[in-house]
Amino acid sequence: MSPEKPININIESDAPLLQEFIPEVMEHLENIERGSLVLESAPDDASTLNMIFRAFHTVKGGAGFLNLVAIGELAHQLESMLDMIRQHKLRIDTNIIDLILKGADTLKNFFTEIDAQVKGLQPVGPITFPTEPLKERVREAISGQSAPAAPAPAAATPPAQPEPSAPQEPAKAKKAKKPKATKAPEETNTTPATVAPAEPAAPTAPPPSEPAAAPAPTSSDAAQAEPAAPAPAPAAPAAPTDAGEGGQRMDKAQMARAAAAEQSFVKVGTQKLDMLVDLVGELVITQSLIAQSPHLDADAKQALARSFSHLHRVTKELQRSTMSMRMVPIRATFQKMNRIVRDVAAKQNKRVQLVLEGEGTELDRNIIEEIGDPLVHMIRNAVDHGLESPEEREAIGKPAEGRIVLRAFHQGGSIIIQIQDDGKGLNQERLFAKAVEKGLISSQAHLTEKEIFDLIFLPGFSTASTVTDISGRGVGMDVVRQNIEKLRGKIEIESQVGKGSTFTIFMPLTLAIIDGLIVSVGPERYILPTLSVRESLRATSDMLSTVYGRGELLNVRGHFIPLLRLHDLFDVEPEFRRIEDGVLVVVEFGRMTRCILADRLLGKQEIVIKSLGETFQDNRLVAGGAILGNGRVGLILNVANLVQPTAC
Amino acid sequence: MNATPASSSSPSVQQKYLTFTLSAESYGIPVLKVREIIQLLEITPVPQSPSYMRGIINLRGKVLPVVDLHRKFGLHPSEFTEQTCIVIVQIEGSAPGTLKQMGILVDNIEEVLGIQASQVEEPPDFGHAISSENLLGVAKVQDSIKILLDIDKVLAG
Repeated sequence: MSPEKPININIESDAPLLQEFIPEVMEHLENIERGSLVLESAPDDASTLNMIFRAFHTVKGGAGFLNLVAIGELAHQLESMLDMIRQHKLRIDTNIIDLILKGADTLKNFFTEIDAQVKGLQPVGPITFPTEPLKERVREAISGQSAPAAPAPAAATPPAQPEPSAPQEPAKAKKAKKPKATKAPEETNTTPATVAPAEPAAPTAPPPSEPAAAPAPTSSDAAQAEPAAPAPAPAAPAAPTDAGEGGQRMDKAQMARAAAAEQSFVKVGTQKLDMLVDLVGELVITQSLIAQSPHLDADAKQALARSFSHLHRVTKELQRSTMSMRMVPIRATFQKMNRIVRDVAAKQNKRVQLVLEGEGTELDRNIIEEIGDPLVHMIRNAVDHGLESPEEREAIGKPAEGRIVLRAFHQGGSIIIQIQDDGKGLNQERLFAKAVEKGLISSQAHLTEKEIFDLIFLPGFSTASTVTDISGRGVGMDVVRQNIEKLRGKIEIESQVGKGSTFTIFMPLTLAIIDGLIVSVGPERYILPTLSVRESLRATSDMLSTVYGRGELLNVRGHFIPLLRLHDLFDVEPEFRRIEDGVLVVVEFGRMTRCILADRLLGKQEIVIKSLGETFQDNRLVAGGAILGNGRVGLILNVANLVQPTAC
Repeated sequence: MNATPASSSSPSVQQKYLTFTLSAESYGIPVLKVREIIQLLEITPVPQSPSYMRGIINLRGKVLPVVDLHRKFGLHPSEFTEQTCIVIVQIEGSAPGTLKQMGILVDNIEEVLGIQASQVEEPPDFGHAISSENLLGVAKVQDSIKILLDIDKVLAG
């Protein structure tokens, strides 16, 4: 075994190249990871195999050009191994999939480090990650079983592979032979029925292997599709082409393409996008300012009024489509979970089937970035703590393979993400006992079922003693909940002992917009998120009582709610000081409520949140700013802190 | 681009400064730090922030904080007039490598002035009474004195 070769990058000359190369490589590595999981269940999927082969090839080429020797060598070895598989000299087994995944991981490590050095986050220096043992294993895999296995896999494996995700099976199988099927995978796999009738049957369907090779993820690849076709061709005669069989095979190919096919995209920097959103927001406000201007006298001039209503429509539409640019499907995040489930299940000798539903659901990209870590944690928990071992499961009459469903869908104005397992469920007595043991609650406490489940979100609840490689990465469920609440979402648990648990996350559609109630205090405008407003009311002076002559309480239909005078808190000269003149807004957060006194209620509207920047990041009372119809900035109040007794 | 302290560059090098007045004193900041100069806009005060933090403005859809240098420097506060402007500066953010924009309130914009390094003297030592670490130096221009600010440091805290 030769010694590990460190990689030295030449920042001065190569930085621009690397900056372009790294995101491309990362994308390829993700495709490899996704593809290899497809291959594991459908080993004869030629298009996925080719995709992985090409991905390693691209990495190798780039590494050679940039003189990243260790990376190039590793990619070369893996490429050779994949080439053997393409030529049917090697058959895919768990070991091979492992090698591909490990290889992708190692390459990812290299490029993450290089990326950090290029961006100046890490000092520039030689980079080493062990590659030799891996290369050795790849060499063994190549030499170990070369010639004899040749045509076998293609013929042997397909019938032995029952399709795991059953529901969409029949619909797709019917139209499976159509070469035009490339479009179908773009739909989410939960809605096969609507996809099926849309495509006319192609009378002269070519042999199944050909469409499998032809679809290519990018346009440049499309050009290579013809020369690529001969490669999988030997598979066709080897596999019997009876109808059902062919349908089965095409299904695999479709699935593979669902993973690999992407719409064509233009990459745009997020800063540019944010600027566009800002400017469009400004345009909308300016438009409404002009339209309302009394100087125009638009009522009297019909043509002008018509033009204005047209302008109004256009700006609204422009705003809507700009906003939608920030929305991305959750697919990529969901598909990463496949890998996690596979790794954790393998370590624990559990058999797990992960079902993804609604991967096409679109979320604000900021939310998608933030939701990844909590999801990983919860998925790990579901495999680690939720599901029983295969033996236990069989003993109680469950199928040995555990099932986890990860789904996303819209409901009302929210996005809902659910993680559902069919494992052992949360044991209320055990949770209660543990919380008492940890001193988090008193043993006398009376808790509802929901409150008991919520105990797992308490900091310090997770058992530090069972920290393993799997469930001890420094994030507990308390951090999960914090992260979700930071995104203005919430999480709920349903669970039944023996049946399994469901974690439901409710998220706002976007981080950029909230529904807000605008109130005025003197000349200032404040915005309260409508979600936290319970009601608003007019008070009479007899509803007010005081404690120690200072603390003011308001009797709202028998409930005493502490009064918070915004003008006092913010030191603003109000129009009214008597509660019967102003307006009262009852806000709540968690179990805390406060009654807020303001001058007037100005209305409710959708508000684009602007960050106040780092200067005000420590301000506890203000969550952000919003540009109001008059062009001024209104402050969005942070109700979570406003309701705390320490706020006033 | 960093504002190079005058002492470290050669005497013939000329740097351009935007000069403005605050309560009859004349100040200068490196012109490369200046993004734009705008008329006074309505400023929304932010509760529970230091008094020199006048509040926030809407600059074409961006929300920017505005600092009142009178209050920051303990100068006698002055009334807003026709000449009162907001200078938008781009300075270093607290995280290395980031930039942020802020507005500073000034009484009057004077001019953009080329100042030779030889015209600039080290900031005088006032002892404990006045901290001079926010100053790049003091420049003599004809008969007047321009106080050159290290605006990154002024707005850092």
